[in-house]
Amino acid sequence: MSDSLSWRPFVVDALREAGASVSESDSLLWVQVPEPVRERLDGPARFAMTFDPERVRQFDAELIAPGSYLLEKILSLAMGRGRWDVARFEAPEANWVEEALAGSGLAPQVGLRCEVLGMEDQLLLLFSFRTSLVADEKREGFHLVAVAPSVGAAWRHESGDSESGLMPAPDLVPPDLGTAYGLATRILRDTTRESVDRFRATNLQRLEEEVRRIFGYFDQTTAEIRAADPGGSEDLLRAIQAERDRRLTETLERFDPKAKATLCAIRAIVAPMARVRLRFSNHTLADVTVDAWSRHLNGLTCDFCGGTEGPWSLQDRGVRCGRCPPMRAESVPPRGRPRSDTPRRGTRAARGSGRSPARSTARPRGDSSRRRGP
Amino acid sequence: MSLPVREPHPSTDASLSLQFDEADADLLARAFRTPGDGPRAWHLNCEAHRLSLVHGFDRLLAWPSLRGVARYPHQERTCLRVLQEMRGRAILADEVGLGKTIEAGLVLKEYAIRGLVRRALILTPASLTGQWREEMESKFDLPFAVLRSLGDWEDRPYLIASIDLAKRGPHRSAAQSRPWDLVIVDEAHRLKNRLSVNWRFVAGLSKKYMLLLTATPVQNDMEELFNLVSLLKPGALRTYEGFIDRYVGSRDRRVPANVSELRDRLRDVMIRHRRGIAFTLPPRRVHSLPVRLSPAERRLYDDVTDFVRDAYWSASGRMSWAARLTLVVLQREIGSSTFAAAETLRRLAQSPLFGPRERDQLEALERGARAIQQNVKATRLVEFLRSSDEKALVFTQYLRTLQHLQRVLEGEGHRAAVYHGGLSPAAKDGAVRSFEGDRQVFLSTEAGGEGRNLQFARTVVNYDLPWNPLRIEQRIGRVHRLGQEREVHVVNLWAQETVEAYLMELLDRKIHMFELVVGELDLILGNLDERRSFEDMMMEIWALRESEPRRAALQRLGEALVRARTEYDRMQERNEEALRPVSEEVAA
Repeated sequence: MSDSLSWRPFVVDALREAGASVSESDSLLWVQVPEPVRERLDGPARFAMTFDPERVRQFDAELIAPGSYLLEKILSLAMGRGRWDVARFEAPEANWVEEALAGSGLAPQVGLRCEVLGMEDQLLLLFSFRTSLVADEKREGFHLVAVAPSVGAAWRHESGDSESGLMPAPDLVPPDLGTAYGLATRILRDTTRESVDRFRATNLQRLEEEVRRIFGYFDQTTAEIRAADPGGSEDLLRAIQAERDRRLTETLERFDPKAKATLCAIRAIVAPMARVRLRFSNHTLADVTVDAWSRHLNGLTCDFCGGTEGPWSLQDRGVRCGRCPPMRAESVPPRGRPRSDTPRRGTRAARGSGRSPARSTARPRGDSSRRRGP
Repeated sequence: MSLPVREPHPSTDASLSLQFDEADADLLARAFRTPGDGPRAWHLNCEAHRLSLVHGFDRLLAWPSLRGVARYPHQERTCLRVLQEMRGRAILADEVGLGKTIEAGLVLKEYAIRGLVRRALILTPASLTGQWREEMESKFDLPFAVLRSLGDWEDRPYLIASIDLAKRGPHRSAAQSRPWDLVIVDEAHRLKNRLSVNWRFVAGLSKKYMLLLTATPVQNDMEELFNLVSLLKPGALRTYEGFIDRYVGSRDRRVPANVSELRDRLRDVMIRHRRGIAFTLPPRRVHSLPVRLSPAERRLYDDVTDFVRDAYWSASGRMSWAARLTLVVLQREIGSSTFAAAETLRRLAQSPLFGPRERDQLEALERGARAIQQNVKATRLVEFLRSSDEKALVFTQYLRTLQHLQRVLEGEGHRAAVYHGGLSPAAKDGAVRSFEGDRQVFLSTEAGGEGRNLQFARTVVNYDLPWNPLRIEQRIGRVHRLGQEREVHVVNLWAQETVEAYLMELLDRKIHMFELVVGELDLILGNLDERRSFEDMMMEIWALRESEPRRAALQRLGEALVRARTEYDRMQERNEEALRPVSEEVAA
């Protein structure tokens, strides 16, 4: 959570966006809100607010700071609005395809030729998620996942949410969200798995330490009492064991790790998409798609690990993805790395796979029948 | 041996994966059915989520929301250690005056901001419930309620309870049957005995985090330290037998053994800061200004006292609690000023609590009070203020006394900032600002402080003396606190041969209360009598008709106070001896 000052632009924007007027006077911000917003904020129609706790009593100004009542209400207001939006993206540059490929590491270079096969509009769905890892502490994250339903691809969108080039498109037909949501949740699970596992392991280790100590303490205490007084009260020993069990339950409550995700909002964006054929120096081909808004390249598979996410680099033995660790010698193949369960394009397994573009013309680069080009 | 059954059992999970919210389906169903709120709203939605994310306890978030709380590095360090290393279970054992309450409030606020604490219970001695409520409200904006009825356990997510009340009968089971996210126990040395009802009550609470606050974890011997730690982390100091064998000197149970190892173990559960040279508060200088009442004031005081004593005893057995309380108030008011008592006398003269004869008496007393136009104490106050260039806080318990003083001071050319409970928050702010500006005098009825920093002044005048010494201490604490760099002057105005004279005898001469650090007094009074308040004891003595038994009772109370003070000093030494190795000195 951010500190007070970083809240100011957001708070003012959020109130204004919801229809409030905000003005500054006497070092306080004066807010006039319309009735529906007043109801949401559960306060008066006109009020003063401040980011300085020492000024709170001035004109009964409401404090804006982490944990303050009004900030929570404004957050809730903003989170309740803007939950879906539709937009059209117009590519600002004519050469956006080359730029997008270059951004993916596939700039024109020796050993690679790119050919644009076609251009069409593509619907992208951008899902925003909030994740919470909770035990006796809380760690949260905010994630954007883009889905291209037409090619059955989904990826973490890391490029921010700039509005540049986006225009409202109110006439867009509501898309089928169910399948896209399924793809998005799968990507989110995959990409957060490592941090979730780490969180779980840390908390289970804490739990184990606590449990061990509690058992040690109560069992040893029981043993000492028995040793000191072999004919002693069984009621006392039972009470000790009951107390032990209660403490254990309490400990489990504290360290039980939970991982939750909530869909925050969805955005539909129509953007130009290019179908591109990549020709590699070893005469292999790959047909990929790239859209003008996210500039994300879909359809390429790593020759080393089977990964599908860039940035990409050309190697002697093929194309390598951004997830592959650097290798000391390019000729040494990675050992022991489990291959991805993503079917390679053009293989039998890939046909009918949800992750293979429906109308993809891509073929495996090893397919000799296609080596001389289309 | 198996773990208690619980669903779902975390250790049986093969892995943990994200669970998606069921409410997602609702959004998927609603989305795009109607026009959205526009791209700006979408963008702000993302921004709201991003800004409000919580990243563990990487830093403290609460500071920007605290009012009137000076930021001290040792408090910040303590809070981070409790959150990051101790996982919310700690003994906060700073020496008196270093801000344990602030540290506890800070930890609570950090948890509350992160949504990890939604139900919190603070257990304190009965005398401190109000003070805790006020501090949590004014400084941390945490809406705590003080336990009044059984229903509060259900209805109040933030509750303050006297431990003596909470541990009894229906309250005990109500408290123990609900899960608490955080339990704070103030004056936790009262949990020193693990066979006591107090200890078993706190141990039986279901809680995620727990803070035990005490400046004196060791009151008699090291076993008490073991008992406190066992509440938080059983086994952290081994078993009882193991602890005694390993960490207690063979003969003297107050002396620790294997200190280095003990220190390491205690560091996991306890934080103790000592006041270093940089954090030693400046001294207090106490000025006693006794006055002799004018003949008319004397006569009225004696007549009111006679009436109170007669009514107190003659009605014994049938007088209601409310009527007795009224008599106490009247006696306190006449000690403050004739103006404060006049209005109460008028009301009592019309009250059905008293018979016709008593009502006639009260009417006569009221006439006597209203006939007095000047109080000697006020004249003495003016003389004192004239002799001093310093800004002064003048405290009285009663609004009518305050109004009288305002008239007197303004008549003498003093400009006073007036502060009382009837003012709006803005007017209170204005009063503080004007005192910080050009006003020499801050006239106040409120001792609580409400988180305001008044350390720019250093003179406190007790125009009257509350019978509850903690209220006096709070007044002084308005200026004698961390941040005060100059010597503090405490001026006590009191009339001879009054209850206030008794108070001065007991509090000033016997235990040198006015020189104690804020917080120490409660520890001393805690050694006195756990069942009756100091106020009750005072009234019982003052109400005695015959002067000899009264003097004797006062003498006994004085001796008990001296013993309590001595016991406190011994306790201080024991803690210093036992815990010095695990303490850190606070640097400025």
